[in-house]
Amino acid sequence: MWQITMITNQNSSQPTPLNKGNAQNQVNQPNKKSKRKKKYTPHGLNGFPNLLMNILLGSFSIMCIFPFLYVIVISLTDEKTLARNGYQLLPEIWSFEAYRYLWQMKDQLLQSYTITIVVTVLGTLVSVIMISLYAYAISRKQFKYRGFFTFIAFFTMLFSGGLIPFYIVATQFLHLRNSIWALILPLAMNAFYILIMRTFFQRSVPESILESARIDGASELRIFVKIVAPLSLPGLATIALFSTLGYWNDWFNALLFIDEPHLVPLQSMLMKIENNIEFLRQNSLAGGIQNDLLSAIPQDAAKMAMVVISTLPIAIAYPFFQKYFVSGLTIGGVKE
Amino acid sequence: MNKKLAIILVLLLSLSTFLAACSGGNSDKTSGSKAGEEKPYEITWYTIGTPQKDVDKVMEEVSKYTKEKINATVKMRQIDWGDYDQKMQVMIASGESFDIAYTAGGNYVLNAQKGAFKDLNELLDTHGKELKATIDPAYLEGAKIDGKLYGIPSNKEVGQQSVYVFNKDIVDKYNMDISSVNSLEDLKPLLQTVKENEPDFTPIATFKPYLPFDYVLEDELPFAFPLEGDKGKVVNIFESDIMMETLKTMHEFYKAGYIKADAATSTDPWPLEVQNWFVRKEMYQPYAELIWSRSAGYNVAVQPMHDPITFNNSVTGSIQAISATSKHPEKAMAFLNLLNTDPYLRNLIDRGIEGVHYEEVDNGKIKDLPARVESYNMPSYSLGNHFILKLYENDPEDKWDAFKKFNDASVQAPTLGFYFDTNPVRTEIAAIANVANEYAPPLLTGSVDPEEYLPKANKKFKEAGLDKVLAEIQKQYDEWKKNN
Amino acid sequence: MNRIKSFFQDVYKNRVWLLMVLPGTIWLLLFSYLPMFGTVIAFKNFRYDPNGFFASILNSEWVAFENFKFLFNTNDAWIITRNTVLYNLVFIVVGLILAVFVAIVLSELANKRLSKIYQTGMLFPHFLSWVVVSYFVFTFLSVDRGLLNNILLWFGVEDPISWYNEAKYWPVIIVLTSMWKGVGYGSIVYLAAIVGIDKNYYEAAMIDGANKWQQIRNITIPMITPLIVILTILNVGRIFSADFGLFFQVPRDSGPLYSVTNVIDTYVYRGITTMGDISMSTAAGLYQSIVGFALVMLTNYLVQKVDKEYALF
Repeated sequence: MWQITMITNQNSSQPTPLNKGNAQNQVNQPNKKSKRKKKYTPHGLNGFPNLLMNILLGSFSIMCIFPFLYVIVISLTDEKTLARNGYQLLPEIWSFEAYRYLWQMKDQLLQSYTITIVVTVLGTLVSVIMISLYAYAISRKQFKYRGFFTFIAFFTMLFSGGLIPFYIVATQFLHLRNSIWALILPLAMNAFYILIMRTFFQRSVPESILESARIDGASELRIFVKIVAPLSLPGLATIALFSTLGYWNDWFNALLFIDEPHLVPLQSMLMKIENNIEFLRQNSLAGGIQNDLLSAIPQDAAKMAMVVISTLPIAIAYPFFQKYFVSGLTIGGVKE
Repeated sequence: MNKKLAIILVLLLSLSTFLAACSGGNSDKTSGSKAGEEKPYEITWYTIGTPQKDVDKVMEEVSKYTKEKINATVKMRQIDWGDYDQKMQVMIASGESFDIAYTAGGNYVLNAQKGAFKDLNELLDTHGKELKATIDPAYLEGAKIDGKLYGIPSNKEVGQQSVYVFNKDIVDKYNMDISSVNSLEDLKPLLQTVKENEPDFTPIATFKPYLPFDYVLEDELPFAFPLEGDKGKVVNIFESDIMMETLKTMHEFYKAGYIKADAATSTDPWPLEVQNWFVRKEMYQPYAELIWSRSAGYNVAVQPMHDPITFNNSVTGSIQAISATSKHPEKAMAFLNLLNTDPYLRNLIDRGIEGVHYEEVDNGKIKDLPARVESYNMPSYSLGNHFILKLYENDPEDKWDAFKKFNDASVQAPTLGFYFDTNPVRTEIAAIANVANEYAPPLLTGSVDPEEYLPKANKKFKEAGLDKVLAEIQKQYDEWKKNN
Repeated sequence: MNRIKSFFQDVYKNRVWLLMVLPGTIWLLLFSYLPMFGTVIAFKNFRYDPNGFFASILNSEWVAFENFKFLFNTNDAWIITRNTVLYNLVFIVVGLILAVFVAIVLSELANKRLSKIYQTGMLFPHFLSWVVVSYFVFTFLSVDRGLLNNILLWFGVEDPISWYNEAKYWPVIIVLTSMWKGVGYGSIVYLAAIVGIDKNYYEAAMIDGANKWQQIRNITIPMITPLIVILTILNVGRIFSADFGLFFQVPRDSGPLYSVTNVIDTYVYRGITTMGDISMSTAAGLYQSIVGFALVMLTNYLVQKVDKEYALF
């Protein structure tokens, strides 16, 4: 069994008597959990170290959020004030002008929101299923070809085929152009996540449980759904969370495959503005042409507002996701 | 175990090659079969600009007309400004089938040299007689690469002229004489006045100074032919005296605060309607000041930096090319012929449907309806011949005559018609492009001291293989000169 | 004959597992392996053929290693390789230490609700695209509008620092930005592993009188070592590839910073956009892949030498 070897290995490398004794104990009685006494709280710092760590992590968390709040403030600053005073934490004059500007685009924005949300939800679902099935199979010793399948997944992390052939596969074999699947399928698998998940399955799904289920006559798929998935919830939640992110932030596939404005996702709109600015910077256009383009490029505050509205939904949504998925993961759920 | 792995691998490989073979076969088959003569052919046309809602609606109208005239319908696909180049490159490289695409400048040349576009020399004679008669011959000659024409240039202003654009309100307020501005140096007193008296204005809306060179590739890459002096010898612009002088002036302006501190990296597009600038640099076309003043909402004044010059870049400024993968290039050519010669079609595509997107006012002039601004705001320059476009009510009567005069006055640049084949030195150019990216923006915006940075840049250019590229350019140019 | 027969028997025996990997395998085949044939253009001077991509490949001329030359033929090429590798090494080491540290602290905090809040906060930057991050950084570093210069002014520093022109600050800014964005993500992965550790170990350790530090050293860290090793091996494989957004968008493509921000990916991008040469960009990608692959194999081999169980395969 993987766990046994792993633990003995650790012990041989760090032979503290304390660890060794316990680990061996554990391995011999893997199902002792239920008998565990409740008065121990294995996790939890006390006193000063706890305070110190709280301060440390607390300030880091604030640093992580702060720029976003700052950008919100900037997006609510009057454009003239921005020009005069720069980006202030407390602007002299507040203004909703930037959001009024975006309101003119509300149809397109709403449409893009819908696309992004649909793609993210559907995509996360597809990719979690595909990744976890694949990773589970290659995590089991019974699967004879697991080495081969591990390798072919891993290999794709290092070698990519290049953009053009990928484009040909997607447009000419799969006919994904201007389809919502063009935004979902290319991101459905990720070798990195597969390998993480494989480790999770190896660690958190002890073979002994599966053995007893097999003896009861359950099929492998049934075992996967009924036993393995619930046991590896933290892992699945992690993958799901990161998949969500991948889909939410993707704009490149939209650039390649989407021509129809009604299928353009949110990040792609932000990216288009960036690209248009870059285009302007590199091309000098004569006469009146420039103005059509210029009018499509928002000013500072509006650009920041764009950033806010493309980030806000996920900023609000992901703590809920996190709570929902990660009930097994978060420490609150570890023990009572 | 290993043998089994091998077997699986073989199976997988064979499956994939099978798939590849399938698709290859497919594309061959489709390109081989000629579209039936009776059934109208659908022309796929890629063009630049933010996708507009009413494109399909207008194209329906267009198709009705073209079906009658040339038995073809038109499907226009618009791709946003900043996405266009990348997307077209992927499509062209993947061999996707389409008929017509907008292209311009360096991309036109590179793609044509690599074989992405159809050679139109013959097609122009068989399916584009009227077109050939209409377009300024300077265009057709200038856009030829090694004697072959790979696209139809839009007939508009053939020359390029950089101008200073001034904020007229300020010019009037301080009674400035802009007609005496003949060089960058001459701007100094004006800028000083603005800096001292108008704290809310940035004197210079970030621009790169005009330099008298005929650039071989892009204007930030160092190789160019001088427009003054020995016009037949390619030089490194960053080694020229005029560059040093100009950059010193720019740096002086920068230090005096006339240029924004973050000019080198700023992406601020300086929209006209925001009145926070005093002078900027733009490309001119006749009566552009009217357009600018209109979109600014206040008056601007214009002072040219030089006479109009016909560059490679200006003749290839907007081109409709026919793809080498087009299944029916004759139809595509026939359509381009119609587009550039038939006023009804040209106006339909550019201005939209009469009564929906625009309406006629007196003496043949038109005025936009709200629908055009909202859902059919097309960039005229990328769509074809300008001279058959209807005038707007506030356009001057002689607009197109002025264009013709402008074109006649335009002087030919030394390399007009010479297109450098980058292939022999492409690895050097990749390295040089990196150096140019590193040094050109800070130098050209005056952000750094040229006395210190120009020598540094030149040293790096040399390391990257500049001399080899210069020699190659000179070689190709001399050869071309012999034959022309 | 027998061999084939036993092969099919094996396949049949493993059918459930094969079924499980089937969707993934099809995906890998289509989106990863099939396009890999395209890498031959790295050795060709790619020209377009009217009959499509495959004809283009066939008819393009072989140029051997010509397309790789621009990665090696200048001093800059040396600098970009140095930058790429050094930054990645720093990211791997600092990132690992910080992520493991944060994960352990998160798991040990007394107040679980606070711990959850910190987690949420720290994960936030990971959800942002580099474009958005580049806006964030700009709000701090803008010469005339940025927060940092405003603060400096407040402290009496009259001369504003032109952040986007001063290369000396950027190694720190790049590392800080990268850590700011990545530590939350990294720590969550490790945290999930820590949470998965059987609580009995800790209980038994406590009965034996082990203090917190001993528990961390002797239980937590050994238990997450396999994950640490795997993630590190994988990161080593990408040591020649840099995050384009971090090195291009965040420094706003500023020339004076190139000596410390130019990495292989940005160098390739800048060199190629002028000429749209896909042969050269493919060559660069292949070069990164091969070096990465070699490094992974090497690391994996070394790990295997030390301890077979930790190796990736």
